[in-house]
Amino acid sequence: MTGPIAQQTSGTSTVQRGGSGSSLADVVDLILEKGLVIDIYARVSLVGIEILTVDVRIVVASVDTYLRFAEACNRLDISHDGTSQGLPQFVEGMQESGAKKKTRGALEGAQERLKETFGGDSGDSDDSEDDKQPARRRSSRKKEDEE
Amino acid sequence: MTTPQPPGGPGPGPGDPAAQGGPVPQYVYGVTRKGTALPQDVGGLDDRPVSLVQDGGVCAAIVSDLPADRPLGDRADLVAHQRVLNALVDAGTVVLPFRFGAALADRAAVEKELLAGNSERLGQVLDQLEGRVELRLKATYVQETVLREIMDAEPEIAALSQRLREVPPDIADAVYYDRVRLGELIAQSLERLRESDGQVLLDGAAPLAEAFARKSPAREEDVLDVSFLVRADRRAEFEQTVDKLGQAHGDRIRLRLIGPLAPYDFVPEA
Repeated sequence: MTGPIAQQTSGTSTVQRGGSGSSLADVVDLILEKGLVIDIYARVSLVGIEILTVDVRIVVASVDTYLRFAEACNRLDISHDGTSQGLPQFVEGMQESGAKKKTRGALEGAQERLKETFGGDSGDSDDSEDDKQPARRRSSRKKEDEE
Repeated sequence: MTTPQPPGGPGPGPGDPAAQGGPVPQYVYGVTRKGTALPQDVGGLDDRPVSLVQDGGVCAAIVSDLPADRPLGDRADLVAHQRVLNALVDAGTVVLPFRFGAALADRAAVEKELLAGNSERLGQVLDQLEGRVELRLKATYVQETVLREIMDAEPEIAALSQRLREVPPDIADAVYYDRVRLGELIAQSLERLRESDGQVLLDGAAPLAEAFARKSPAREEDVLDVSFLVRADRRAEFEQTVDKLGQAHGDRIRLRLIGPLAPYDFVPEA
C-alpha cells in the first residue's frame, strides 16, 4: 500500500516549480495580507475575503487533526511487505460523512478549502497545474480505499 | 471637479460613470517608476486596460478603472491583481505591489493623494528593490515517510499505534480517546521535527538571498513557508541551491518554489 503523497514524490526528487503565473492558492495570502497599504486610499468593498483569509491561516491543533494523523498512522504498512492491512475501512466507517471529508489525506487541508471557496477552476490556465494535483491525490486515495 | 482622460488612456465602458461624465474610480495595483513601459495586452479587473498615472515625481501608479457596479473579491479579481503585477515582474520591472483592494476616486485623486505626498519615499523603496524578486519556498513533509520516522524514533507512539491496530472494529468507540491521543503525540512530534528541519532548509537557502520573511505554516505537516528577496542576477544560483536542498531531503520533504513574485513581503507595512 503506497500512500498518495509518496506516489507523488517517488522517483527523482526535484523541486516543484510554480512560476510567476503560479496558482492563486500559492499567493492568495500575499495578495490579501501583504503589499503596500497607504492610509489615504479607500479599501473597496470586499466580499468574503475576511472569512477566506482566516480559513487559510488555521493551524489546526484540533481533534480533527489528531484523528487525521491517527488514521494516517493506521494506514502505514508497518511490516513493509504488504501483508499488514491496518483497518482503513473500519476507520473510514467510524466517521460521519462530514467528518470523513475532513479526514482526507492529511496534506489536503487549507488549500483544498481555498479552492472550494473560490469555486474551483474558472478556466484560467494559470491554475491548471494546481487544480490537477488534488484530483490526482483524490484518485490515488480512492484506489487506496478500495484495497 | 474634472475627470482627466489622458489621450490613449482607458476609455469609459458601458455603464461606467464616465459614460455619464462622472469621475471614474481607479483601482491601484502597485507603484513603479515613472515612464515605465507597461507590458502589452495585460488586462486588469474585468480585463480593463491598465495604465499609468504620473504626477511629475519619480513614481507612477499602475491603475485601471474600477468596476463600479459590483463589490470586489471574486477569484477572478484576485487573479487579475496578481496578473498585472506578474506581468511587470516578468518584464524585469521593479514594482511595489499594493495589497488587494486599493482604490481612489479618480485619476486626479491617484495623482494628488497617492503620488504627490509619497513619491519620494516610494522612490526610495523602489531603489532598494530594483533588480530583486520575491521567491517563496514552501516545504511539506511526505506524510508516510515522516510518520515512519516518528514511529521509529518514539517507542511510545509506535506502541500506542500498534495497540490501536489490534482493536476490533466493533469496539472502536472505546478507544476514541486513544486515537485522539495518538494523533496528538504525532502532532507534537511533528512540531519538534519541523523546528529543526525548517531551520536546516532556511539556513541552506538564506545565504543566497538579500532578505527573508518567514511565515507560520498553515498546516501541521508543513515544514517551512518563507519568502526570499533574491537579486535577479543571483536567481539561478538561488534556484540551484534550492534544487540541491530538494535532492537532499526529497525522500521526506517536498519543496515548492513559487515565483518570481512582486516583493509583497518586502515593502514597508505602511
